[in-house]
Amino acid sequence: MKYTVLLMLITILIIPSCDVVKDPVPPSSTGPTNPIDTSTVDTSDTSAMIVRRKVLLEDFTGHRCNNCPDAARTATQLVSFYGEELVVVAVHCTFDFAAPASPPNANGSYSTDFRTPAGNAYENALGVNFLPNGAISRRMFNNSLLHGQSAWGSAVADIFGQEADLDIWFDQLTYNASANTVSAEVKVAVLNPIVGDQNLTIYLTEDHIIDWQLDNQASPNDVPDYEHRHVLRTTLNGTWGVPLVVGSAEPGDTLTFTYPNFQLNSAWVGSNCALVAYAYETDSYEVSQVKERKFQP
Amino acid sequence: MSRSFAIRILPVFCSALIGTAIQAQNEGQLHGNFSTDVQLYNQDSAIGAVLPPERLGANAWANLIYTQGNFEAGGRMESYEPSLAGYPAGQAYSGTGVGYRYIKFKVSDLEVTAGNFYEQFGQGLIFRSYEERYLGVDNVMDGFRLKYKPYRGVYLKTVLGRQRFGFNNGAVKGVGLVRGVDAEVSLAELLDSAWTSANNLIIGGSFVSKFQEDRNPFLVLPQNVAAGAVRANFTSARWNIYGEYAYKVNDPNGRNESVYKNGQALHVNATYSVKGLGASLGAHSIDNMFYQSDRSAPTPFDLNINFLPPLTKQHTYNLPATLYPYATQPNGEVSAQGEVFYRWKKGSKLGGKRGTKIAVNFSTAYALDTVHLGLADDTTRRLGYSSKFFTPGKRQYFQDFNIELRKKVSDNWQFALTYLNLLYDIDIIQGKSGKPPVHADMFIVEGLHNFTDRNSVRFEVQHLSTKDDHGNWATALAEFTFSPHWFVAAMDQYNYVTFDDTFLQDGKLEVSPKRFHYPIGSVGYIRSGTRFQMNYGRQRAGIFCVGGVCRTVPASNGLSLSVTTTF
Repeated sequence: MKYTVLLMLITILIIPSCDVVKDPVPPSSTGPTNPIDTSTVDTSDTSAMIVRRKVLLEDFTGHRCNNCPDAARTATQLVSFYGEELVVVAVHCTFDFAAPASPPNANGSYSTDFRTPAGNAYENALGVNFLPNGAISRRMFNNSLLHGQSAWGSAVADIFGQEADLDIWFDQLTYNASANTVSAEVKVAVLNPIVGDQNLTIYLTEDHIIDWQLDNQASPNDVPDYEHRHVLRTTLNGTWGVPLVVGSAEPGDTLTFTYPNFQLNSAWVGSNCALVAYAYETDSYEVSQVKERKFQP
Repeated sequence: MSRSFAIRILPVFCSALIGTAIQAQNEGQLHGNFSTDVQLYNQDSAIGAVLPPERLGANAWANLIYTQGNFEAGGRMESYEPSLAGYPAGQAYSGTGVGYRYIKFKVSDLEVTAGNFYEQFGQGLIFRSYEERYLGVDNVMDGFRLKYKPYRGVYLKTVLGRQRFGFNNGAVKGVGLVRGVDAEVSLAELLDSAWTSANNLIIGGSFVSKFQEDRNPFLVLPQNVAAGAVRANFTSARWNIYGEYAYKVNDPNGRNESVYKNGQALHVNATYSVKGLGASLGAHSIDNMFYQSDRSAPTPFDLNINFLPPLTKQHTYNLPATLYPYATQPNGEVSAQGEVFYRWKKGSKLGGKRGTKIAVNFSTAYALDTVHLGLADDTTRRLGYSSKFFTPGKRQYFQDFNIELRKKVSDNWQFALTYLNLLYDIDIIQGKSGKPPVHADMFIVEGLHNFTDRNSVRFEVQHLSTKDDHGNWATALAEFTFSPHWFVAAMDQYNYVTFDDTFLQDGKLEVSPKRFHYPIGSVGYIRSGTRFQMNYGRQRAGIFCVGGVCRTVPASNGLSLSVTTTF
């Protein structure tokens, strides 16, 4: 009798315990399974339609991280899937993987320092000690704030489609090529009651930077003309942004933030730059809404 | 006292009262221990020392175990306020709370554990739940375990639960569910008098499965991933021969680039020992055997279901142990190790008056021979690569040849001489991309002199020479013991030559590499079951390993205190 009971117990454990996948690629992987109205509310009447929460993927990376290009490819794949609902920013950080080669290499490789004071601060605050790593709207997923790229799709899907409490849009964005400056007016509308402090941070990113990158899937691994995407260059309003909600906010409030004539570094290519504005809860860092606008559409 | 505090403290107080009452009535026993590591950090930018915002870091643990007859209950309070820099190896620990609690009882041949437990099947190729506190590795299960002995020599185990992932004012569990069964038969016990041999053969088998929901938009992921293993262990007075084979079904995860290839591992080891002579020979092949209960676990240290034992010598001397230790490569390696120990008898030519011991060890690890399957596979079955099991590839990860000679030369003096020759693929093992392999030679002299029965000095002089990585190192250590209570130690590490070259700083200025001393002093006091130790000085960045699992320890400068006590 006791053997029967044991066999039953073991059988119960074993029978449901193994899935063999013959065809890993699902039939349709060309877009979200539940398409939503992705219209951005840019009028005063915000009650007319439901605004969805966009997702910020901060890809913590480094030019000497040989697994990071694979993570970047995952990010690109996700952008092609989610479109403007997903905003990707590559944050170069950590001494081991992102610092310039020291002593410098004879061929000049890895001499660029893509790190930023803001990126270093996020590295410390979020506890980035492995690369590649990513934060998906800095939201806890599977009990973790940081995820390897294999979790990014699931973590984005977990947020995708949620109703947003805030809407963010760029009312104006002007790039002055001759002066190499950018001016922006960012508006934030409160759509649902909010309790707790939130800040607004504005990233300046640069796309399509050609420079060295270690890539374990390339041959040779040292790639001199790697295309770095969505690289965080600086912030317009400090590492942690400026207060957006203090204490609480009620629907109907619309706030305006103006940043006139922000000077770009001469080494940056303005036509490849963009601004990323996001709101986040100051106690948890969780990003509640994000919006990207390129200098040149 | 606030109401919430009262609510929280009341059950503890009641439990304590009940516990005391039970102890008085039925002679239950309460045991416990406490340990803490505290460090005050100083700024030392020259060595890149960490200076956390909170300059004082403190880790602390307190265990309590109550036993009464066939019943046992226990728990562990943990505190990381904040945790020491670089600790733990994986997910961050913060706050104070209960990290571990369980009850266990035995009814006849059945043992039941509910709550947290550590467990291992065989050598752990498909399941090992364990804690290495000083690494910060703890994948304890939270669920239940049954251990059953239906017949003499037959042992059954089943486990089900979730693993510990991190700590935030209490243990944080991972998302994946782990369930497993294990059976083991000891033929000598089972057959009893019918087994006439003095030897024994133990055979076993185990099955483990994990469950995690699939929400990936691009791939169909297996939500249930199973692994199985079989093992055999022959033991005799002189021989111990062990072999275990494990197989894992498709497990695309963040560590293996989400390939669907099945994994497998074979681990064999044989040891022979007679008086004065010991030898061991082992080999293993590992292919795609990362097995974590969260397929997207943030680090390789988190939520490991299995453990792949290393086949390299775990050195204890500071330089080889902390600069270039090897860790098993779960994605693929072929490794082998051989060791011979011999003791020349007293009175023999080489043994002299007091005998001489020699130990020779050689180990090597290679990448597995694999072929990437290419684009067509990426869009179809995503197996990733094909491999030849137990066939080494071209890339050598590690090689260690070492020889150790130990001799007591007088009643008061004994020495040990050690030589190591090391090849270390720092790119693969430590993830320092693009860095060439390190070739290093090390000489170590250790001496022990007893001044009296109570007072002694132990010293070490270590030297490492290499033209790679950080260049040459020298270490000197002296440790005075004044039994039974006190000890004092001083150590200095000097990174004194970085292959004599210079480099161009900022592309213009020719400068020499910097050379640093890392002095550190210690004083300790031991009384009964309590031990205090205080250190002050510099600690260089290094690697700290236990059992082939390693974590990076950042450079630091400051004062540290450790206390352990037990009752």
